[in-house]
Amino acid sequence: MSAPSSPLPRFRDTWRRLLAVAGAEAPRFRRAVAWFSLAAVAQGLAFSCLFPLFDALLGPAPDPAPDWGRVVFWLLAMVALAAADLVLSWKGHGFEYDGTIADVTHALRLDLGQRLRGMPMEILARHRTGTLSATLGSHIDEVVVPMGTLSQVMIRTLGVPLTVIGVTALCIDVRLALALALIFPLAVPLYRHQHRLAARERRDGAAAHARVEADLIEYTQGLAVLRAVGQTGARAQRLRASLATLRQVQRDALMASLWPALLMSGLMELGLLAVLGLGLLWVGGGSLSLAAVAALLIIVMRLGEPLALFSELTKTFVLMEAALERIEVVRAARPLPVLPASPRPGPKPDDAPAVAFENVSFTYAGTDTPALVDVGFRLPARTLTALVGPSGSGKSTLTRLLLRHADPQAGVIRLQGDDIRTLAPEALMRRLSVVFQDVHLFNDTILENIRMGRPDASDEAVREAARAAHCLDFIDRLPQGLHTPVGDIGGSLSGGERQRLSIARAILKDAPLVLLDEPTAALDTQSERVVQTAIDALVQDRTVIVIAHRLSTVVGADTVLVFDQGRIVEQGAHADLVAANGPYAALWRAQEERKAWHA
Amino acid sequence: MIPLRPGLWGLMAPVRGRIILAMALAALGMACSITAVVALAAVLDLVRGGTPDLPLLDAEASAPALGFLAAALILAGLSLRTVSFIVSHRAAFDLEEGLRLDLADHLARLPLGILITTGPGALTKIIQGDVRALHAFVADSTPLVARNVAAPVVSLAWLLVIDIRLALVALAVFAAGMMAMRLAMKDYATLRQRYDHAREAIQTAVIEFVQAMPVVRLFDDASTSFGRYQRALEDFRLVFKGWVQASGVAGRVALLVLSPLPTLITVLAVGLVLMAGGSLGFAGLAAVLMLSTGVADALLPLMWMSEFIRKSRAGALRIHELARERPLPEPAAPRVPADASLVFDAVRFTYPGRETPALDGVGFSVAPGSVCAVVGPSGAGKSTLARLIPRFWDVDSGAIRVGGVDVRECATDTLMNRVSFVFQETFLFHGSVLENIRMGRPGASLEDVQAAARAAQIHTFIESLPEGYDTLVGERGARLSGGQRQRLTIARALLRDAPILVLDEATAFADAENETLLVQALATLMRGRTVLIIAHRLSTIRDADQIVVLDQGCLVEQGRHDDLLARNGLYARLWQTHQAARSWTLRLPSSGVLA
Repeated sequence: MSAPSSPLPRFRDTWRRLLAVAGAEAPRFRRAVAWFSLAAVAQGLAFSCLFPLFDALLGPAPDPAPDWGRVVFWLLAMVALAAADLVLSWKGHGFEYDGTIADVTHALRLDLGQRLRGMPMEILARHRTGTLSATLGSHIDEVVVPMGTLSQVMIRTLGVPLTVIGVTALCIDVRLALALALIFPLAVPLYRHQHRLAARERRDGAAAHARVEADLIEYTQGLAVLRAVGQTGARAQRLRASLATLRQVQRDALMASLWPALLMSGLMELGLLAVLGLGLLWVGGGSLSLAAVAALLIIVMRLGEPLALFSELTKTFVLMEAALERIEVVRAARPLPVLPASPRPGPKPDDAPAVAFENVSFTYAGTDTPALVDVGFRLPARTLTALVGPSGSGKSTLTRLLLRHADPQAGVIRLQGDDIRTLAPEALMRRLSVVFQDVHLFNDTILENIRMGRPDASDEAVREAARAAHCLDFIDRLPQGLHTPVGDIGGSLSGGERQRLSIARAILKDAPLVLLDEPTAALDTQSERVVQTAIDALVQDRTVIVIAHRLSTVVGADTVLVFDQGRIVEQGAHADLVAANGPYAALWRAQEERKAWHA
Repeated sequence: MIPLRPGLWGLMAPVRGRIILAMALAALGMACSITAVVALAAVLDLVRGGTPDLPLLDAEASAPALGFLAAALILAGLSLRTVSFIVSHRAAFDLEEGLRLDLADHLARLPLGILITTGPGALTKIIQGDVRALHAFVADSTPLVARNVAAPVVSLAWLLVIDIRLALVALAVFAAGMMAMRLAMKDYATLRQRYDHAREAIQTAVIEFVQAMPVVRLFDDASTSFGRYQRALEDFRLVFKGWVQASGVAGRVALLVLSPLPTLITVLAVGLVLMAGGSLGFAGLAAVLMLSTGVADALLPLMWMSEFIRKSRAGALRIHELARERPLPEPAAPRVPADASLVFDAVRFTYPGRETPALDGVGFSVAPGSVCAVVGPSGAGKSTLARLIPRFWDVDSGAIRVGGVDVRECATDTLMNRVSFVFQETFLFHGSVLENIRMGRPGASLEDVQAAARAAQIHTFIESLPEGYDTLVGERGARLSGGQRQRLTIARALLRDAPILVLDEATAFADAENETLLVQALATLMRGRTVLIIAHRLSTIRDADQIVVLDQGCLVEQGRHDDLLARNGLYARLWQTHQAARSWTLRLPSSGVLA
C-alpha cells in the first residue's frame, strides 16, 4: 500500500501536532508534560526504595537480623516519593482540570472554522462533509480533550520502568538491569508494531465495513426492486458475500494481531519469569542478594498494570494521530489569495460589462480534461443570459468560477470591470445572489433564515422580501408566522416553499447579479408556477445568468450561450440561433417535437 | 432467527455458549496468574532458607519444584487468556454476520412502508453501525468482565488465606478509595448529563456549519452564519470549563485511588509491623505485597467497560425494536389474479401515527389494457395510492384488487409478477449494466436484455460505453445521468413484462435530448399494458383513457381530458397552471423583444 497518509506517524510528529493543537496554551502543555515526566521518575524511585528496604529487612546474609532503623527510613522515603508523584501528577492534570483544555478546544474549533470559511470551495468539495464534521466535532471531544491523560499514560508507561531499570543498573545489578532492559523497552517497538497493525486493521476493516455498509444501503434502498424480483433476505447474494468477506477480514486481523498483543500483554509475565529464573540462578551463585530479587519481583508485578493499560490505549493513540493529521490538513489549506487591485486598464466602471469572461480555461484538480476551454463573453448590465448545453458541458463550472470556488488556470473573470481575484470574499459575494435547486435552511426562525440575505435588514424589510417572493401565503399559515423555527417544521416545507424562501433571501440581498441554476427542475407543476412568479420578482432590474434545460424558459434571453465539452459553440439570441440551424436549433426542435407527443 | 429477548445478553443468544466458555477461560487464566504469585513468594522464602508461612503448601515442597510450578502457572494464565480472547472474538464476528443476515432477511418480510417511515439510512445504521457496536461488548468486554471480577475475588481469597489482618488492611484501603470516589462522583451523573447535552449541541452546531458552508460563503458575514457557530462554541466553552473543573475533584481522587503506591505502602507498613511482632513471615509479606493491589487494578478496566456497555446497549435496543416489527402477513390460501384489471374499492388509508387519512374512500377501476392517470395538487395522495398496490402498507378499509383478487390475498411473488413498478427514484445496483437490466427477469438471455434496452432507447448509449453491457454503473448509478438511469429502469420493467404497470412519473428530466428518448421509451413500455400513471407534471396524460383527480385524499373528479376541461373544476385549474408553467419565459423588462 502506498497511501501517503498511512505511514506510521513518528512520535516527534505527533508531539509537534499536539503542540500545534495546544496553540497559545502550548507552554502550559509542555509544562504539564514536564510534571508528568517528573512524576513518573518519582514513582520509579518510590518503587526502587523496596531494594534497600528489603535489604535492611532481610539483613546481611550471615546474620539475617532486620535493621529496623533503615527499614523505617526507606519506608518514609517511599512515602515522600509517593507524595511527590501524586503532587506532580496533580499539577500536570491541571492542564485539564483547571479548564485550560476548554480554552484549547475552543480556540482550535474557532481556528478550524475560520480555515473552512477561507478554504477554496474546490478543495472543500473534496472533503466529505461527514469527515469534516467529525474533525471539528466529535474527534476533538474524544481525542483532543484527553490529550493530557493520554500523554500521562504514555510517559508513565515508559518513565517508571526506565527509572527502575536505571536504579537497578546503578545500584543493584547490571546483569538484571540488562535483562529487564531487554524486555521492557521491547514495549516500544512492540507498541509501534501493534500500532502499525492497528492502522492496517483499521484500513482493511474500514474497507470491508464500508463495503458492507454500501451493500446494506443498496439493499435497503433497493428493497422494493429486490422484493419484486425475489432477491431479498438469504437470497441477497451480494450482501452475503460482503458479510462473509468482512468476517474473514476480521478473523485475519485477529490472528495477525494476536502475537504482538499476546507479547505486549504478557510482557509483565515474561519479566517475572526472567527475574525469577536469572535471579535465583545468581542468588544460588552468590552474586546477587535475595532481597534484590524479591524487591524486583514485586516491582515488576506493579509494572504490569500500566503496560496492560498502554496496550489497551494503542487504538486510542491511532485514532488520536489520525485526528491530529486531519486537523493539520484542514489547517494547511490556504484561502485563495486576494490580489491587490490594479488601476483598471479597461473601460470605466459605468460602462464596463456586468460580467466578462476573458479567455477563461479551467481544469478541475485531479482531472485531465479541461472543464472550460478559452471561454470569453461580455454581458452588459441588466441583461438576461441563458446557459444551454448537455450536462457536463461546463455550465455549472462557469457559475462556480464566478463564485470563485476556484481560480481558472488561464484567463480573467471580471465583475463590473474588477478582476474577481482582487475582491475580498465578502465584497465578491455582495455583488451576487444565487438560487440553486438545493436550499439550505438553518436551524433558526423563518425570519432569520431570510434575514441571512442582509443581516442588518429590519423585520419589515424581511417581510417585504417574503411577500415579493410569494412566501407569505404559506408563512402566514404557520403557527408563529415568520417567527416559526424551521427545525419544528423543516420536514413539512415543500421543495417549492424552500425555494421561495431562498428567493426571498436573494431579493433581500439585492445584489446586482443573479445566478439561477435550474431552480424549478425538481418541482411539481403547482410549486413550479409559484416559484416562477417569485423569480419574476427577483430578476427585475438585475443582470441575470440562468441555466435552464427547458428552452421555452429562456427564449426571452438577450443572449444564449450554447456549451458543448467546455466550449461555447454558439452564442446569440434565440431567433438568430434557431435560424442558424446549428446545435441549438436541433435542441429546440427536439423539445418542440416532444411537446407534441402524448400518451 | 433474531432472539426476541431484549438486552445485550438476549442478542448474544446464538453464541452465548461460546461467550460463557471465553469468560470461564478468562477467569481461570486470571486465577492461574494470581496463584503463580503465591508460589513465587514461597520460592523466595525457601531460597532464603525460611519455612514459608503459607497455607495449602506441601511442607516438602522444594524451591525448584515450586519455581517450575510458578512458571507453569504463569504460562497457563497467558495461554488461557489468549484462547479466551480468540474464542470471544470469533464468536463476536459470527454473531455480527448472523445478526446482519437475520436482520436483512427480516427486513425483506416487513411491509415496505418501513422504508418510508424509518428511512433506508436509519435502517442501514441499525444493521451496520449498531451491530458493529455490539462487537466491543461481545468480543472485548465479556472476557474483561470475567478477568476483572475474578482478579479481586481470587486475590482476596488468597489474601484471606495468607493473613486475614493484611487482607482486611488491603480491603480497607480499597474501601476507603471507593468511598472517596463515591463522594467525589456524587454529582457526577447530573454534571455528565449537562456536559453530554452541551456536547450534542456543539456537534449539531458543527454539522450545521460544515454542511451550510456553500451557503455560508454566499452570505459571508461574521454576524450571521459564522456568528452562529461562534456563539455555539462560546456556550460550549462555559459548560465544558465548568464540567472539567467540577469533575476535576473526581478525577484527582481517582488518580489517588488508582495509583498503586498508596495501597502498596499501607500494606507494607502494616506488614512490617506484623513482621516486627513476629506474626508474619517474609513469604507472607512478599505474597501480600504482590497480591494487594490486584483489587484496585481491576477498577480502571471495569470503569472503561461500563462505557463500552453503555454504548452497546443503546444499539441493542434499536436492533431489538427492528426485530420486533411485525412482518407483512402472507395469505394462508393465496389466490391468483384472473386478468390485468386494477380496482380501488373505497380505499381508506391513514399513515401510522397520523390523524387525518391520506386516502379517504377512493374508488375507481382500471380496465385491462387501459391507461389511467392520477393527478392532483402535491399532498393529494397520489404517491400513496401507488405505494399501496405493492403493499408498502395495507389499507385501513376497502380493498385494492388486482385481477379481481385483493392484494392481501395474493402471494407476494404472484403480486410482483403481475405488477411492475417504475418509481420516481430509479434504483440501480452496483454491478454491470447487464446485471441491472437482467434483474427484471433473472435468467433472461443477453438477446432479451438487449431487446429490452433497445426498446427503452438505451441500447445505443450502452454500446457506446467502454465495456458495453459489462460496464459497471457505479454506486447507485452515480455515473449515469438521471435520464439514462430512468431508461435503464424502463428496460428492466420491459424485461419483466408484467401485465400491469404502475408508473410514478419523474418530476425532473436531465436534459432536453434525454427527455425525448425517455418519452419514447415510456411509450413502448406502456403499449398493451394496464397502466396507472402518477402524473406530477401533467405532460403525458392528455390521451389517457381515464384521469382520476385527487384532492386531499379524496377522489374529486374522474373522466377524460376534454370532459374534465369542460367541467371547469380542479382539473381545469391544474391544467391552466400547467400550461402557464410550461410556457413561462424568463425575461427582463429592459430586454427581449422576442416572443
